[in-house]
Amino acid sequence: MNENPEKTTHFGYKTVAETEKASMVADVFHSVATKYDVMNDLMSFGIHRLWKRQTIASSGIRKGHHVLDLAGGTGDLTAKFSQLVGDTGQVVLGDINSSMLKVGREKLHNLGLVGNIDYVQMNAEALPFPDNSFDLITIAFGLRNVTDQNKALRSMYRILKPGGRLLILEFSKPEQELLSKAYDFYSFNILPTMGKLVANDSESYQYLAESIRMHPDQETLKAMMVEAGFEQATYQNLTGGIVALHRGFKY
Amino acid sequence: MALEEHSKEQPAAGSFFMLPSFVLSLIEQVLNQALKLDPSLLDKLKTVEHQRLLVEVRDWQQKIAITYANQQLHLYTAFEHADADCMISANIDTLLALKNPAMLTQLIRQDKLDLQGDLNIAQHYSSAFSSVEIDWPEQLAKHIGDAPAQQLYLHLQSLKQQGKKAKSQLDNTFISVFQDELAITIHPLELEQFKQQNRALKGHVAAIEQRINALIKAL
Repeated sequence: MNENPEKTTHFGYKTVAETEKASMVADVFHSVATKYDVMNDLMSFGIHRLWKRQTIASSGIRKGHHVLDLAGGTGDLTAKFSQLVGDTGQVVLGDINSSMLKVGREKLHNLGLVGNIDYVQMNAEALPFPDNSFDLITIAFGLRNVTDQNKALRSMYRILKPGGRLLILEFSKPEQELLSKAYDFYSFNILPTMGKLVANDSESYQYLAESIRMHPDQETLKAMMVEAGFEQATYQNLTGGIVALHRGFKY
Repeated sequence: MALEEHSKEQPAAGSFFMLPSFVLSLIEQVLNQALKLDPSLLDKLKTVEHQRLLVEVRDWQQKIAITYANQQLHLYTAFEHADADCMISANIDTLLALKNPAMLTQLIRQDKLDLQGDLNIAQHYSSAFSSVEIDWPEQLAKHIGDAPAQQLYLHLQSLKQQGKKAKSQLDNTFISVFQDELAITIHPLELEQFKQQNRALKGHVAAIEQRINALIKAL
């Protein structure tokens, strides 16, 4: 007998079959891949660059480290990691979406970053690496798109070396009520319009706003990390909690 | 040897505006532009490639991690568990004095600067940036051509010299105004002389008064 034939998950505010979410998310990112960077700058007023800087500042990355930039998209973090780990280190840019990987690879090649970067299409829930492989795993604005986030966290824990750390940069819950209301107005009114005008795709940006609201808040995600086995799990709110940077270690 | 440094979480206001990160990203761009303009810096920094220097600016309460890698400088806020190969801690005035690398040991002896880890890393960064020599005519020539660039450079140099001269003259004037002993009061000897003359005059007047009084009585 087939167990849980009707097992569902959320896709933004919609409820969909678990088996369908990955392909629906894939469609969103196939659609936005070419305009991803310009939209990020527009939507966040460039602040996403500071959020990513904070992630790198928290990474403790050194020469020779092995890094997995999961859901790495167009490779903003990979570009910096590649320079900081040097020729004795290695960075894997992983993404489930081939279009995003293609854009990322082209961008990094144009920046002259070759030699210590691998590009791997992968599902975060079943990472194709041996146990204890990486010193650092980052997932920036990707976890909320994963169907089974607990499974993905366990998978990350497995491939992290003892002493390694996981950094999750993700949209979260604003700390102040007033900020939350302003943010809601921006997300559901201005953001899809901006998506329509620039990328000719309002639905993907409607999904973005909805998926952010459906994502676990700071404390819930921290608890999920602890449950997956991470130690010293903490988080830092950035820009009033619009984004949170979670950190956990494997010992 | 890597130093393990623990620091407190950033305050909420700092996280919201992310000003330290923003300012550091600007400084990083300026420094990397300097690297492009003076390629000799690349060789000077080669020996500290991938070595992390942690700079604590005490009066700003900020820690900055500096790494040179892939012909670029990478500057990040170091706020927690930041490990470094060399850490220096001082006020901003002291850090600016490090433009002269010879000051490093002197400032440590004066307890104005704390240093942990590899002293050579701090010295390398200090000496590299103290000897930045940008060939401005060559850089300008890329945009406006050789001859105009040279002319513009010479004009700017001349203006700079004139500015220096004017500043020097102004400084000298101020120094003479504030330091030189100006005759705004009489000399003590003059005062003493005046007093003596005054006393003599007073004596004469008293003598005349007595003679007048005597004459009045006689009448």
